[in-house]
Amino acid sequence: MNPLSSTGETPAAAVAELVHDTRREGLIDQFRSALGDKLVDTHLKPGDDLWLRVRTDAWRETGHAARDLGFDYFGFLSAIDWMPSPYGKGEDDPTEPPPERSTEVKQGYAGGATRFQVFARLHSIATGVGITLKVDVPEPLELESWVPVYAGANWHERETWEMYGITFTGHPDLRHIYLPGDFEGFPLRKDFPLLARMVKPWPGIVDVEPIPAEFDTDGEAEAAPATDEASAT
Amino acid sequence: MGLVDRGRLPKPLTKLFNLGRSYSLWVYQWGLACCAIEMGAAFGSPRYDVMRLGVIPLPASPRQADLVVISGTVTDKMAPSIKRLYEQMPDPKYVISMGSCANCGGPYWDSYSVTKGVDQIIPVDVYVPGCPPRPEALLEGIVLLQERIRNEDMAAKWRGEHHDGVVERRGEPIVVNG
Amino acid sequence: MSTVVDRQQLAYIAAQAADARLNVELETEGMTLNIGPQHPATHGTLRIVARLDGEQVVWAEPSAGYMHRGYEKLTEVRTFPQVTTLVNRIDWLGSFANEVPFILAAEKLMEIEAPPRAQWIRTVLFELSRIANVTLFLGDMAVQLGAITPVFYAFRDREHVLNQIEAATGGRFHPNFDRIGGLKEDLPKGWVDETKAVMRKMRNFCDEMETLIVGNEIFAARTRGIGVIPRDVAMQYGLSGANARASGIDWDLRRDQTLPMAWDKIEWKVWTHPDGDSYARYWVRLQEVREATKMVDQLLDGIPSGAIMAKVPRIIKVPEGEAWVSTENPLGEMGYYVVSKGDTGPFRVKIRSASFNNISIASWVLRGTYVPDVITILASLYFILGDIDR
Repeated sequence: MNPLSSTGETPAAAVAELVHDTRREGLIDQFRSALGDKLVDTHLKPGDDLWLRVRTDAWRETGHAARDLGFDYFGFLSAIDWMPSPYGKGEDDPTEPPPERSTEVKQGYAGGATRFQVFARLHSIATGVGITLKVDVPEPLELESWVPVYAGANWHERETWEMYGITFTGHPDLRHIYLPGDFEGFPLRKDFPLLARMVKPWPGIVDVEPIPAEFDTDGEAEAAPATDEASAT
Repeated sequence: MGLVDRGRLPKPLTKLFNLGRSYSLWVYQWGLACCAIEMGAAFGSPRYDVMRLGVIPLPASPRQADLVVISGTVTDKMAPSIKRLYEQMPDPKYVISMGSCANCGGPYWDSYSVTKGVDQIIPVDVYVPGCPPRPEALLEGIVLLQERIRNEDMAAKWRGEHHDGVVERRGEPIVVNG
Repeated sequence: MSTVVDRQQLAYIAAQAADARLNVELETEGMTLNIGPQHPATHGTLRIVARLDGEQVVWAEPSAGYMHRGYEKLTEVRTFPQVTTLVNRIDWLGSFANEVPFILAAEKLMEIEAPPRAQWIRTVLFELSRIANVTLFLGDMAVQLGAITPVFYAFRDREHVLNQIEAATGGRFHPNFDRIGGLKEDLPKGWVDETKAVMRKMRNFCDEMETLIVGNEIFAARTRGIGVIPRDVAMQYGLSGANARASGIDWDLRRDQTLPMAWDKIEWKVWTHPDGDSYARYWVRLQEVREATKMVDQLLDGIPSGAIMAKVPRIIKVPEGEAWVSTENPLGEMGYYVVSKGDTGPFRVKIRSASFNNISIASWVLRGTYVPDVITILASLYFILGDIDR
């Protein structure tokens, strides 16, 4: 078999010389004509990237529309939990009162209205352009499966279900992929704590051992009585 | 041998047996993650050749191995397999824990799916720290283990001394420097 | 779906019918074979559950997760430099290549670019990690087919490349050398000439592999026509890297997108193969290693002088936003979708790893194959468990 060497001209590179904004703006128009008002919001970074958000009940339809528009390469599918973590980084000083943390659920590009969003990345090899599709997932956490559109979405949806608890209706085989079968909870949700960080106080913040008096040149341990010193370490 | 478990083996014979055992270790490589590549370099590459120490890295199954090198992150899903592997090995057996993930969880100490150290499941004789430890560090771990085997009391080992409930303790484990 | 897929479907149905016939004749059930999770041929802790009819696989399912370390959750509680350290260990053979897309995404959000010298050196190290990674594949696939010698050559020659990476970064693998805004340090003196000598050695290695393995008729008999993945199926599953190029998809992220790296400043070729079988995947990777050595030579000749690090504050806070950067890593397309809320650490990082998609095709491609071919196909798809399981 004669193997092919690389093609003399590279279609994607030639396209790069065109102005990308018009290409991506053209994409927005194509999606709008395919989906109508089911395309809820868009965000365009000229020359860079494109985000599209669609209505929850149109998720599978969006997949079909994207595939028809030439996005035949399936990148990935996952979810984002926009709630800020109530545990922070797990590096809080346990002797202090817990710090004030914002609980505002604020979505990113192309907006959103729910705490959970599912997003997917698709690519068109012929034109070299990729898009990010986002969709709100309200309670109860259910969304149409993309397996009939892209076969590769199978594993990605399993992982998203496992990590966030979002059920994909129409998925042939929704079960654990990474975690053991008896794992409880959905790890990537922000209210799932990392217990190892909760159990012990963060070493840099809490002084576990007080400074012994003989090494204390600043006189900090002066107030500690002699009996305390003996029981200190 | 009746002499071994009754502790009546003469010292020169014990020394000879221990010498023989330490220079004919068959290593089962339980290569899990990145440390497995360094272990592969230590065992398989001509540069850090481990066979010159008398250690053969080619047993066909754990049932034919004396030593297992656990290299890489141990996850909760994998832990039962490790326990089963350890139980398949015949006595006397030794365990080297290679890399920080196997020692104590390593960089994933706060993960929800990582077992913080393989010594929670099986008893470890030598800890080789590093992320990943250089092949020379692993070789040093093996050399130290060989030294320990040479000074071992075969009777105590046969009787299974230092059994401490679920996990056996075999005296203080060695930590390799660097 | 194309007609090639119909052929696979027919093979599957025939296998099912054979199973049924066997059951009626001998009143036996097909055997369930468990390959892994500890198995020398599975590149780590992958478990394949296969239902067999005699020697033929009727149904196979890879069971991942034995190396799941929870990366995406861990990145949420770490700062950006700490995440760089962690992220090295996803694709643990070509480690520097894992850091690069993450750093590029963070730089994109901060709207800074590393100085040209840093960009070129990043590209050199990226290609070196590709060579280190794929060299091992060339030996490893051979050893899984039963040829034991090439893996020793692979380890031996890989040591030269690791030496160079260690001389520059301090770590054989897991260098943790990339920083937001540039690199940690400049190259040591004499490194450029040494690396050129090493590239000559690697080209000799490639020639050795070509005669030893690719020209070997046993290898050809065991890999030609085995595990054919047609082009449209590959796209649906998101196969990337050499797997995609071996199925005839002419796509290479180094050429097809503009990133602040030095690939567009040198001359090089993208190798594809129309067959889509295991032989094609091996062949494409062999050519890619050779191409990478030539690329490193060109890059080394052209490294500009200048600063290694852009002006960044000591404590880096990345502004709010979302960024997606993916690069042509040794295993395929690896990308990071970084969501930042203006903090010192990311809010969410979605790691798109190549092997996850590459292996998701296993249950489709393994139907109707024989048990030894299962090993061949998995070896040729080339995955790294850290990359699948993150």
